[in-house]
Amino acid sequence: MFNQGLSLDQAPPISVPFRFFLTAPIFAMLIGVMFLIYPAELITNRFSSETIAMVHMFTLGVLSMIIFGAMQQMMPVLAGAPIKRAKLFATVVHTFLTLGTIFFVLKFLYYQNEFLIAAIVCLAISFLTFFITAIRLLFKVKYVTSTVNVMKLFAIAGVLTALLGLHLAGAHLSGNMGSNYLSFVNIHILLGIFGFAALLIIGVSFQVIPMFYVALDFPKSVQNRLPLSIFLLIISYFAFAFLDLNFYIYKVLFAIFFVIYAFHGLNSLNNRRRPVSDVTLWYWKVSLYSLVIAMLNWLFVPQDSSYFLTILFAFGFLFSLLQGMVYKIIPFLCWFHLSSKGYFDIPTIKEIIHEDLIKIHFYIYMASYVFFLLYGFFSQIFITIAAILFILSNILFFINCVLGMRKYASISKKEPLQTFVQS
Amino acid sequence: MEETIKSFLTQDHRDCDEEFANMENAVASQDWAKSEESFEKFAKDLQTHFDMEEKVMFPVFEEITGMTNGPTQVMRMEHAQMLNVVSQMREDIAKQDKNHFFGLSESLMMLTQQHNMKEEQMLYAMADAHIQEQKSSVIEKMKELKRVN
Repeated sequence: MFNQGLSLDQAPPISVPFRFFLTAPIFAMLIGVMFLIYPAELITNRFSSETIAMVHMFTLGVLSMIIFGAMQQMMPVLAGAPIKRAKLFATVVHTFLTLGTIFFVLKFLYYQNEFLIAAIVCLAISFLTFFITAIRLLFKVKYVTSTVNVMKLFAIAGVLTALLGLHLAGAHLSGNMGSNYLSFVNIHILLGIFGFAALLIIGVSFQVIPMFYVALDFPKSVQNRLPLSIFLLIISYFAFAFLDLNFYIYKVLFAIFFVIYAFHGLNSLNNRRRPVSDVTLWYWKVSLYSLVIAMLNWLFVPQDSSYFLTILFAFGFLFSLLQGMVYKIIPFLCWFHLSSKGYFDIPTIKEIIHEDLIKIHFYIYMASYVFFLLYGFFSQIFITIAAILFILSNILFFINCVLGMRKYASISKKEPLQTFVQS
Repeated sequence: MEETIKSFLTQDHRDCDEEFANMENAVASQDWAKSEESFEKFAKDLQTHFDMEEKVMFPVFEEITGMTNGPTQVMRMEHAQMLNVVSQMREDIAKQDKNHFFGLSESLMMLTQQHNMKEEQMLYAMADAHIQEQKSSVIEKMKELKRVN
């Protein structure tokens, strides 16, 4: 169990995470295209079919895509839990996630139930393969840490989100929505965004921020209690919905939990001992500040039809952070695989993808983020500009990832000068 | 709380991280004399940490568990890989090549922290579980090694 992780012959092949990272920007570009094609009022109305299609393009095609890719790389290290037959596993999860996302979007754009049936089958295969494996591995970990605990909650939230999603898809298919349909939709959203996506980020940051930036640890009480509190709060939605309790209390509790997390994260980053100030750090900060603003907006701007909340949370908090994460993982893996194979004269981690190109991507992405927010105050033109910038930023995201991988591929074709790792 | 192999070596990881950050700060300020000094301090501390593991703790662990080709072997390989990066960083300091140095230091940081996570979360916990009776003597010997270095 332990012999997995860093050593090359035991780490998953580089193609495992990379296929996920290369697919995500393509779906993100298509999201930008949808913003361009459809009228703003339609695509920002959370109940329209086009919005449901677009939101799932993001949650499945971008969020889940990057998270699944990163998790396959991180699991061996964070949890000491390897995934057997890594390539086959990645092929199944990736192929069916990609197809499932496409079918799902087609269903909500063209109203054909055959697409939904295909989407249900593909997504069920992808998600259940991933989560059943993840849950089995994580619950076998002998020496449990706070990160492993959060990852368990993440996996449970993920599988519940998927099951609820399948249930909702079934309701769409049969046309029988039932009286609790909206409650199921809401908990599906809460579990997916606050549970699946946010919990993973929280769990990983407990480990990554203090270690990689030589910074303060998150307080033990936060590490041990906060993720479980968030998880229980999500689940208690049922109680709030069915007992007709005041939802404002619910929102306040959520906001408090997330702000506590963001506060400690920012405090740690701002007091880091390392002098580095790379783009990943900027992404971390944008992400955590966006989270705080998203929560404040949720609490104090009742007239927001959840547009601001969605943009702040999805593009500000989640997608920013995941981009930063990909820019850390790709160069490191390229360097690591080459170094471990015995290649001697190789580019450093900062030369695999040129830092300036990453910065340009960051600036364009930030501009698109700002324009998306401005649309909330002004007119359609802002969302058009935002969409164009969003597409551009994701083209650059894709190009940057490809450039890194091509650099890796061109070097790994040559013979290593010296075999470094003597096993 | 009683000192364990895990608490002692985890703290030593943090101390090495601290020296690593000092070294990076010195290089960032381009004070090359200071950079060299803090680099050597970091390299020495890192070597001492590896020695404490490879010369003291690992052999006891291997003897008790019978796992000579298991986790400790993987850790040794990773130590070697890290030392290789450290030696390249020494060249960059000599050449006063700040950019290349930070490219390498980032790689070393990623390598080191993944390595540390595995040690802290698994190997040290395993060591504490297996090396029961000799625990205090193992810790004492590691401390001794640290003192003489």
